[in-house]
Amino acid sequence: MRNERTGHEMNRGAERDGFRHLVDDRVDEGVFRVDRAVYTDDAVFQAEIERIFEGGWVFLCHESQVERPGDYWSTEIGRQAVFVMRQTDGSLGCFINVCSHRGAVLTPLKQGSANVLTCRFHGWVYDRGGRCVKIKNEELGYPVSEGARERFNLQRIGALDSYKGFVFGSLRSDVPPLRDHLGAAARWIDLLADQGRDGLEVVPGCSTYVVHGNWKLQAENSVDGYHVTTLHSVFAATVAQRDARDTTAGMRRTESGRIKGKVPSGTYDLGNGHMGLWAMHTTPDVRPIYEARAWLVESLEPAEVEWILNRGRNLYLFPNVMLMDNPSTQIRFVKPVSPRLTEVTVYCIAPKGESDTARAARLRKFEDFYLTAGMATSDDAAALEAIQDGSLGPPSQWNDMTRGMDVMVAGPDRDARELGFEAAASCPDWEHEGMFHGFYRTWLERLEYGAGGAPRPSENGAAGA
Amino acid sequence: MSANGIDAALEREVAALISREAMLLDRRRWEEWLDLYAEDAVYWAPAWASEEETTSDPETQLNLLYLKGRGRLEDRVFRIGSRQSWASLPLDRTVHVIGNVLVERAQGNAVEATANCIVHVYGKKGAQTRGSRYDFAFRRIDGALRIARKKIVFIDDRLEGPVDIYHL
Repeated sequence: MRNERTGHEMNRGAERDGFRHLVDDRVDEGVFRVDRAVYTDDAVFQAEIERIFEGGWVFLCHESQVERPGDYWSTEIGRQAVFVMRQTDGSLGCFINVCSHRGAVLTPLKQGSANVLTCRFHGWVYDRGGRCVKIKNEELGYPVSEGARERFNLQRIGALDSYKGFVFGSLRSDVPPLRDHLGAAARWIDLLADQGRDGLEVVPGCSTYVVHGNWKLQAENSVDGYHVTTLHSVFAATVAQRDARDTTAGMRRTESGRIKGKVPSGTYDLGNGHMGLWAMHTTPDVRPIYEARAWLVESLEPAEVEWILNRGRNLYLFPNVMLMDNPSTQIRFVKPVSPRLTEVTVYCIAPKGESDTARAARLRKFEDFYLTAGMATSDDAAALEAIQDGSLGPPSQWNDMTRGMDVMVAGPDRDARELGFEAAASCPDWEHEGMFHGFYRTWLERLEYGAGGAPRPSENGAAGA
Repeated sequence: MSANGIDAALEREVAALISREAMLLDRRRWEEWLDLYAEDAVYWAPAWASEEETTSDPETQLNLLYLKGRGRLEDRVFRIGSRQSWASLPLDRTVHVIGNVLVERAQGNAVEATANCIVHVYGKKGAQTRGSRYDFAFRRIDGALRIARKKIVFIDDRLEGPVDIYHL
């Protein structure tokens, strides 16, 4: 029997003995395949929202988006509206963004500043710390008793922490410390965060776009170097004809060496579902960070400077954010809407205090390549939508992810050891797909066991129960 | 003369030029479209900075498109024509409808005007209707008005599908 909408055999993606049947993980036999039902199935999606997005750490925002006391940032953890609020003492708080009375979302704007948040429905008032400080006509409607409002204080989320300015939260409290969740990926965050003498800032302006494709396609694509020389060859050709016409110099030039040809590159399974991709820049001097090289050399370890200046990087942090430092620097925030629909919001993030020339160059490179109005991301989005369309029919079942399997190595390679991160696996070419194994193993583990870091049931225990 | 002191013939000329640009985009006559632009033209669609405001400084803030010089428009035409851009094959069909054209200022060879545009797009995802507010600056070059600057406040956010020069 078929599902009318998806064309699948009914329940192919449904939980049987867990979701193990969707990942054919037999690397010893040279097989690693993922059932395309992971992109299309409603039961899979429901489990992902509950167990991954609402069951563990997710990215919320960058600290520069809530700089001063009273600044708030509205976002979601899975389906749940939350807001991050800079507290009066300078710390961060994150609360369920819902009036305790009748459930209306509290913040009027995505980003704002407020001493108190007043529900616009019945006028209940909450202070920055989430305390319910006023109930309209309280004395007329509730028995008068001291402290009655306390039971209406806003709920705090289960866990909140930040790493070098990047803020993460979890609805559940039984999660490992953020630093443990980030693991080896923290060193890759350093590579971006350490570029600013005074930290980083999110540049004004953003773009939200909707991709008719599953959220995991965003995750995969962010570290897939294999598509670059085909899908983005038109970007390289466009840049080549532009260079032939214009006489651009310095940071205004566009680097296309990575796209056109073979450069040293690699990918990493960074553990806990995080993945990284890098490729050597052919013209590092056109990058905006190049102006800061003297300071970088003075302040950081040589290996870190080398990675910052010479290696373009995409970092995927499980499950919902990418930090890109390739043609430009980007936070790419991913919000799953349905199995078939993903909302993506992109921001440019840059070192505070960089020169106007560097900032302008960074933004022009961003606009050139990223964005659905740009000349590369628009093609990526179209490709991912084609994968979604191609995944619908039952005969189209397996995605093969074995490329480069024979040359990938368990653990960190020499580069990783030099920079100092404990990669779970290393691939010596960005066209290889070994990092996806780690991603899908974590994905499966989270679907099987619920919250990240929650105690695992015993081997014969209640997986999927 | 119209009420605001702008010559009526100039108003007609400006309205015709804005409509002509729309027609050339809808009919994919890219080379003729490029010819409407001055060599040093600036084509600018700011990004939204918040629900209520766009970015205001194109140099140091993010834009959807900020193309300085006609060459950057040629890049776009090159990419569309290459048939290698996945987002541009098949090309979305468009119908631009221009309205509310107002010449705001005219001095010597320089003219400024505002207009609205509704673009109906049909593509892989079906039909969409999008809206833009235009701020134009024109310059008279060898007797003909050319576009020296086009600012597009694209009111849509949460964008579906690509956004290219023929969508705006």
